[in-house]
Amino acid sequence: MGGKWNKSSLIGWQFVALPSALILLFSFYPMVQSLLLSFQSGKGTVYSYVGIDNYIRLFSDPMFLQAVFNTLLYLVIQVPIMLFLGLLIAHLLNMPNLRFKGFYRTAIFLPCVTSLVSYAVLFKSIFSLDGIANQLLMSLHIINEPIAWLMDPVWARIVIIAAITWRWTGYNMIFYLSAMQNIDPSIYEAASIDGASKTRQFFSITVPMLKPILLFTAIISTNGTLQLFDEVVNITNGGPGNSTMTISQYIYNLSFVYTPNFGYAATVSYAIVIIVAVLALIQLKVGGEKR
Amino acid sequence: MKKVLSVLLLVTLTTALLAACGSSDSKSENANNAGNTGKKKVVAWAWDPSFNGAALKIAEDLYKKENPDFELEVVDMAKTDLEQKLNTNLAAGVKDGLPDIILVNDPNIQKYVTAYPNTFADFTDKADFSQFSPYKVDALTVDGKVYGVPFDIGVTGMFYRTDILEEAGFTAADLENITWDRYIEIGQIVKEKTGKYMSTINPNDEALTSILLQSGGSWYITPENKGNFVDNPVMTETLRVYKAIADSGIAKPVTGWSEFVGSFNAGDVATVVSGVWQIASIMDAKDQSGKWAVAPIPRLNIEQGVNASNEGGSSWFVLDGSANKELAIDFLTKTIGGSSEFYERFLNENGGVGSYIPAFSSDAYSQTSEFFGGQAIYKDFTEWSTKVPGISLGMYTQEAKDALKNELPNILNGADLTQSLANIQKLFEQQVR
Repeated sequence: MGGKWNKSSLIGWQFVALPSALILLFSFYPMVQSLLLSFQSGKGTVYSYVGIDNYIRLFSDPMFLQAVFNTLLYLVIQVPIMLFLGLLIAHLLNMPNLRFKGFYRTAIFLPCVTSLVSYAVLFKSIFSLDGIANQLLMSLHIINEPIAWLMDPVWARIVIIAAITWRWTGYNMIFYLSAMQNIDPSIYEAASIDGASKTRQFFSITVPMLKPILLFTAIISTNGTLQLFDEVVNITNGGPGNSTMTISQYIYNLSFVYTPNFGYAATVSYAIVIIVAVLALIQLKVGGEKR
Repeated sequence: MKKVLSVLLLVTLTTALLAACGSSDSKSENANNAGNTGKKKVVAWAWDPSFNGAALKIAEDLYKKENPDFELEVVDMAKTDLEQKLNTNLAAGVKDGLPDIILVNDPNIQKYVTAYPNTFADFTDKADFSQFSPYKVDALTVDGKVYGVPFDIGVTGMFYRTDILEEAGFTAADLENITWDRYIEIGQIVKEKTGKYMSTINPNDEALTSILLQSGGSWYITPENKGNFVDNPVMTETLRVYKAIADSGIAKPVTGWSEFVGSFNAGDVATVVSGVWQIASIMDAKDQSGKWAVAPIPRLNIEQGVNASNEGGSSWFVLDGSANKELAIDFLTKTIGGSSEFYERFLNENGGVGSYIPAFSSDAYSQTSEFFGGQAIYKDFTEWSTKVPGISLGMYTQEAKDALKNELPNILNGADLTQSLANIQKLFEQQVR
């Protein structure tokens, strides 16, 4: 038995060897290098090791703190809204007596296939001073003066949140929908016989049954929001006054807009890594299976 | 059998991978050989095929008359792509993929030269820089060395709609050499009588503050790369004027470039304060032909304030490590760095304005424009260009602009200016360590 096992495992290892080498070379090696880089500071090619100075600098860097604040704000407000909307829409689309299901599903999933940059540009034009959002509100006499959406810190953030929600709700909805279709209808039947209302069924059956998927979507949405870049750069370019700037945009600025300091930029990247890891850990603890 | 198959598969994959690497190597070798033996080929990166790319083609044409062997390849890419590529290549220390000649936006000059030492060729004794507008040469000078050939300029003017201002009761003479306070007064009358805005304002864009600062001979940072916000009368006056414009209601708020261009193409605003390169966009609105004119920009109400400033502009650099360094330098200095003919053709063919003073007296520069009511606009612009105060753009312009942008909403909301300026200075100093 031993010999046979060894032979087949040898073949297996041969298949694994090349991809492993490639992953080591193109994924792990850069990670280690960027970790080393995050302990250096300087300009362009003139670098020196500064120990943990870069990490200390993070805490006194108002731009970084502002970027973290903005990003966490998007996270705390947008992710729950989006996940709940996704869940609700998935539930509605899963109703057995709904007509034109295919059409609705396509329509709600469609935003996910648009390119990030092009939808961002569209949102920018919708919410410009003479954009259709203002024209619509004015023709309905809800407002008298056009609102300068993208020039007000609060409105600008709302526009960004609306944009991301529009783009990603359908994506999460698809996960929920497929999970809901795996729930045995007899459970609902039994619940109906026991006299549970539809709302009760939703919260007491559907939501608990979807727990692993909810956890999964929460983690990928958190991860995605922390890396938010395209939308902000294209809709507001971080403005007004850096009030919508995200951590990723700050990394980009440090590397390509400001006098390049790739060392400090790498430090900020590792700050994202740490934040994502901590948040994922919390989510796993709160929502994961107890073992 | 299985084993043989899997080994075979592995070998094929590996060779394919190596072959892929190998072929790209031999390709670049071929390109290098072509450069050394046959024709002399120089590669340049530029970002606008109808402007700076076209300028290189004109230069190539002129240079070829004496050097028939010469060959130039212009690689066009978006400006941000070009800057990103340059930054990543230089930071990684990989110089193989880089061109011989590269276009650099003026505010980036000091940044590149300091962040990547010994990367760009020294032009100090290669061209006669006294023939160029001094402020342009100042921008290229780092530690007493000149690092490139000055190219296009962004000398500013106040473009205005003669018909709208006439309706409000103003003639051309009323707009010559005014202050910004007068500009706001005129704007209020224009708004009242015609319903049109005087200008646009974009709190997210630093174009106007940059123009104002340079017209007072100052900048966001000092030549020593320190923040220049506190105890700087030009900065205080600039922000006072900026707030006054915002408060007066004469400016239409816009959020981006296309809205800005759209505002004057649609005829919503009476004036546009911008660089000379804006002519092309203004002339896009064919129906407004004959209704435009251009005057010097308003000045700050301080002693050193002048009615001239600059917005944008770029220069040509040569990479020090390039194989064709000497040829590239010779090509640039004999054309863009010292040929009146080049600048005449560049103006006629692409509407580009340079800073080469001998060209200013040529016929091309004294041509009149029908679109601008028969005004000799280029002659005016070049005259103003000699009055633009020379400043050092320093290394940290973008950092300083972002620090200002952070506080600008507070300033516009009426916060104490002295306190705000102290905040900006502090933020900037925390940014650049």
